[in-house]
Amino acid sequence: MRLLFIAILVFGLAGLLWTPYDSFDQSFRDTALAGPTFGHWLGIDGVGRDFFSRLWAGSGNSIFLSLNALCITFIGASLLLLAEQSGPRWIGESIRHLIGLWVAVPVVFIGLLILLILAPSPKALVLAAGLGNIPLAFRQLRIYWLEQRSATYVEASVVLGADFRHLLLQTIWPNLRPNLFSLASLLFALGVLELSGLAFLGLMGDPDFPELGSILRQNQAYLHQAPALVFLPGLAMISILLPAHGARLKKSQ
Amino acid sequence: MMRVWQIWQKPGRGVLFLGRILAVFFGASLALFLAIETMPEDPVSLRIKSPDPQRVAEIRGELGLDDHFVVRYLRYTGNFVTGDWGRSLVSGREVRGEIMNYFPATMELGVCAIALGILVGASFVIGGHASGWFWLRRVSSGLGSIGLIIPIYWIGILLVLLFAVKLEWLPVSGRYDFALPPPDGSRSLILSSLLRGDLALLGSTLRHLALPTLTLALYPAALVAGTLETRLDDPRVRLLVRSLRARGLSPWRIWCVHIPRLLSAPVVTLVGTQFGALLGGAVLTETVFSWPGMGRFLVEAVLNRDIFAIQNGLLLIILLSLVVVKSSDYLAKRMHPMLRDKEASR
Repeated sequence: MRLLFIAILVFGLAGLLWTPYDSFDQSFRDTALAGPTFGHWLGIDGVGRDFFSRLWAGSGNSIFLSLNALCITFIGASLLLLAEQSGPRWIGESIRHLIGLWVAVPVVFIGLLILLILAPSPKALVLAAGLGNIPLAFRQLRIYWLEQRSATYVEASVVLGADFRHLLLQTIWPNLRPNLFSLASLLFALGVLELSGLAFLGLMGDPDFPELGSILRQNQAYLHQAPALVFLPGLAMISILLPAHGARLKKSQ
Repeated sequence: MMRVWQIWQKPGRGVLFLGRILAVFFGASLALFLAIETMPEDPVSLRIKSPDPQRVAEIRGELGLDDHFVVRYLRYTGNFVTGDWGRSLVSGREVRGEIMNYFPATMELGVCAIALGILVGASFVIGGHASGWFWLRRVSSGLGSIGLIIPIYWIGILLVLLFAVKLEWLPVSGRYDFALPPPDGSRSLILSSLLRGDLALLGSTLRHLALPTLTLALYPAALVAGTLETRLDDPRVRLLVRSLRARGLSPWRIWCVHIPRLLSAPVVTLVGTQFGALLGGAVLTETVFSWPGMGRFLVEAVLNRDIFAIQNGLLLIILLSLVVVKSSDYLAKRMHPMLRDKEASR
């Protein structure tokens, strides 16, 4: 499952580098909304673009942007955790209170707040999804940290004279890795869903930007004529999310 | 008996709770105010066709946008509390009137979805455990993770495709048939049509409500199913069922009366804490079904830089989700004294 997950990620990201046709180029206008042919496996979309290319690039962008959001989440949550654990008591208290409130505000509204300051763009949405997931990541990382800190094997390792490097790489990391991987795949799945949701609301800025959510939004207008244009982006999203879920389940058991 | 002044000497939980709500209000409004302050564009010059600096300055002066920011922040919070929410810069209509139209639409959708979601989620899980049927257990455990695997608004589009486009059973979008006389005030359409005894309007409302509710209900259904599944997997539940059976209660009575009562507390907490997420889902669902609710209103307000609509509408929604979460925290702590000593745990 984990291999499949990584393979899907790599395959999707490849869509950013190369697609059979350009995903912006509207060169098949006269055959718009045509069904699948040998040259165009998934047909042509409403304004004359090869839909397979668009879907591939869209999956690539969804994955790439979510990975960026994942980085923001992990960095933000780790910094907060560092401040909470090593700072004075009142800082820890106020960070925990802040997280308690932050977790209550859904990502859509965090996105709207960010879009007040930034213009609608993929960057702004990445920032919104990244910031929106920080509370979840913070709480989970905090649990792991408290677990590791008081674990007997860590104490034993210290008693046996392990230095910091050994402690981190040989004792803590092997135990932490499956947890971190499972947290990362959860946050990645949430990121894909949130980013495409925000894009579906039309907050991507450029409506032609290939991302699964904005592709869905654009093709909802052709629901009557060409339902496949709406059906397939969702299917692509499921094929990204399902392996992520499977990888997480296997690791947490 | 406690006298009024004694409350202030030794604040009880209620006072602390009120204090927290006030802190939340000032925190949230300040954050929103600062975000609007750092907005790069000038909302007034965006609205005028040929931005003449003198005219812009005049309008800014009228709206009081050039005052010191402390004055503006205090005026903003004061106006929000007293309900003087200003006029939209785009449409010129009163923001309060607009929100009074859109907010009940969102709440009607949200409340119906929560009710349906709890019903569906709980009955799948309880049914699966009560019957022990393998496929029903699979469905109920699958339901728990549906929110992480399938984009739920996409299911909404598929429902439109099936029930509205192919089968033509239900309408595609909107809240009621425009052929009918428009409902006055348009608060909750279900309530107002029931009160007036207008069956045509009620039928139309319910038909329009069906698909959005079904879509949005998947969020609480998934949450409830996931949580209850782990609760019912507890081996003590099996012992409880066995001992209730030994007392001569029928399976129906056990699974329809005793077990739901046992599960009601976690469901209340869950719905409270996930209320914000549900509002987020409501925004997406509204977009799918062109539902005239707060979601579309806020998205358009933000994209159009309509500051008065943003600073009151967004604050209302954010406050609502924060207050519901805080109150459910408070309620949960009142209900389970064990939680009181633990810090926020999850």
